[in-house]
Amino acid sequence: MRRAPRSTVAALLLLLSLPALAHEMRPGFLELRETGPETYSFLWKKPSGGEVEIQIAPVLPEDCRLVTPDRQQLSPGAVIVRGTLTCRGGLGGKRIVVAGLEATVTDVLVRLHHADGRLESHILRPATPFVSLGEVTSTARRALGYVQLGIQHIVLGVDHLLFVLGLLLIVSDRWMLVKTITSFTLAHSITLAIATLGYASAPLPPLNAAIALSILFLGPEIVRVWRGESSFTIRHPWVVAFAFGLLHGFGFASGLTAMGLPKAEIPLALLLFNAGVELGQVAFVLLVILLEKSFRVLEVQWPRFVAQLPGYAVGTLGAYWTIQRTLVLLVGAR
Amino acid sequence: MTVATRVRRSLVVAATLLLPATAHAHLVNTGLGPFYDGVSHFALTPEDFLPALALAFLAGQRGSQPGRALLFALPGAWLAGGVAGLLFPAISSAIALTTVSFILLGVLVAAEARLGTGVVLSLAVVIGGFHGYLNGAAMSEAKLGALGLTGIVTTLFVLVSLAAAMVVAIRVPWGRIAVRVAGSWIAAIGLLLLGWSLRPG
Repeated sequence: MRRAPRSTVAALLLLLSLPALAHEMRPGFLELRETGPETYSFLWKKPSGGEVEIQIAPVLPEDCRLVTPDRQQLSPGAVIVRGTLTCRGGLGGKRIVVAGLEATVTDVLVRLHHADGRLESHILRPATPFVSLGEVTSTARRALGYVQLGIQHIVLGVDHLLFVLGLLLIVSDRWMLVKTITSFTLAHSITLAIATLGYASAPLPPLNAAIALSILFLGPEIVRVWRGESSFTIRHPWVVAFAFGLLHGFGFASGLTAMGLPKAEIPLALLLFNAGVELGQVAFVLLVILLEKSFRVLEVQWPRFVAQLPGYAVGTLGAYWTIQRTLVLLVGAR
Repeated sequence: MTVATRVRRSLVVAATLLLPATAHAHLVNTGLGPFYDGVSHFALTPEDFLPALALAFLAGQRGSQPGRALLFALPGAWLAGGVAGLLFPAISSAIALTTVSFILLGVLVAAEARLGTGVVLSLAVVIGGFHGYLNGAAMSEAKLGALGLTGIVTTLFVLVSLAAAMVVAIRVPWGRIAVRVAGSWIAAIGLLLLGWSLRPG
């Protein structure tokens, strides 16, 4: 697989065009629980503490009145607002909008628990930042929502994909590729589960800086591969993939934990979110391998600097993000 | 028939083909940022996706050299047209004309036409430039700008490399027949779309 540098120019173009998308990707969460006639408990979680603060807020229907006993609470990774919502005629058929969502790249999960046990679940996206309540959501639809969330998290999480690209540039054969990607998957699944189940957590700013550092770490290793040198990482990339995979798992978990899912929903959400992440990751790896094969079939001879571009992109972007995220860590979010 | 008459008639035909299409400009907003909107726009717009696929098949049928040349010529022309469309947006949709382009390409693939690399590249430049211009104008209209266009051209590059290489790699005779059948389907879809776009009312 050491021909991979030649094969990944298109993937690199895709990656290079995305640094501007380093926005907040963790979803928001709005939960409404019917506690009495026309009365609902209200819980709003807005992700915070990332590199960029996002300004989103739910706009409630006109017939509704929200009473919040206190202002807002700051919890790790989220701003939380609790209160009691009173709506004349109930929430059925009423529309909720999340203002500001259209200017972000994140989603908001809206859940409405009816008094009779029915559950409504909707994912609001920037393209459709509103929902009309009243329709009960099937388990299959909720499941699909979590898979989509997982795919979106890895596809937009350019840093995770760049780390995978770095691994692809280091591995020397197919068997090693399978071993490396499997150990990365295993490692991030472990920490994703641990963090989502609430056994451990990692504060976001240092975690993001450490993930960036993991990408930067691969840069010099790729250069060693070009020079025909060897190192522990080059001989055993699966070990490095496992070690850093543990870090990346905490990063993936931020996509779920910010929502503060109800306990009963966590196993389903965890399983399907992880399945979505794996689907996105496998699709990316297959795309890079197929591109590499296509260039060979078409006998494309890349100039040396083009062939080395993906490796330099891994190192340079890793360095850039490390510096940027360390500054965010020291100075605070913009 | 004088040259002036011929030109006038051609303009009338072109206008007839262009006018019904103006209402068809559409862009998919994925909510994942302009780059992904560009990717989705290309992947979900048959008038753009199918001619690019047909051109990749056509180049692949002629071997690795035309395939390799197309890999750079088509995205290059598309990008140049796209930049022109971004800067000087006049029309963002001409479904009848774009459909005609993929009927033609579908027929060429179905016939496994023995075209030289130069002809394939000329087709790529003309068709890529035209489609790219419309895409650029659409991106400008939707305020997706250069990042949206980058999404389109990147997807195009990936599609051309995968599709052309797949056809070049085919060794079994039935595989080549399957590609020709795909070409005939592309032409048939084009005819259906053309009929749809020219329907009265």
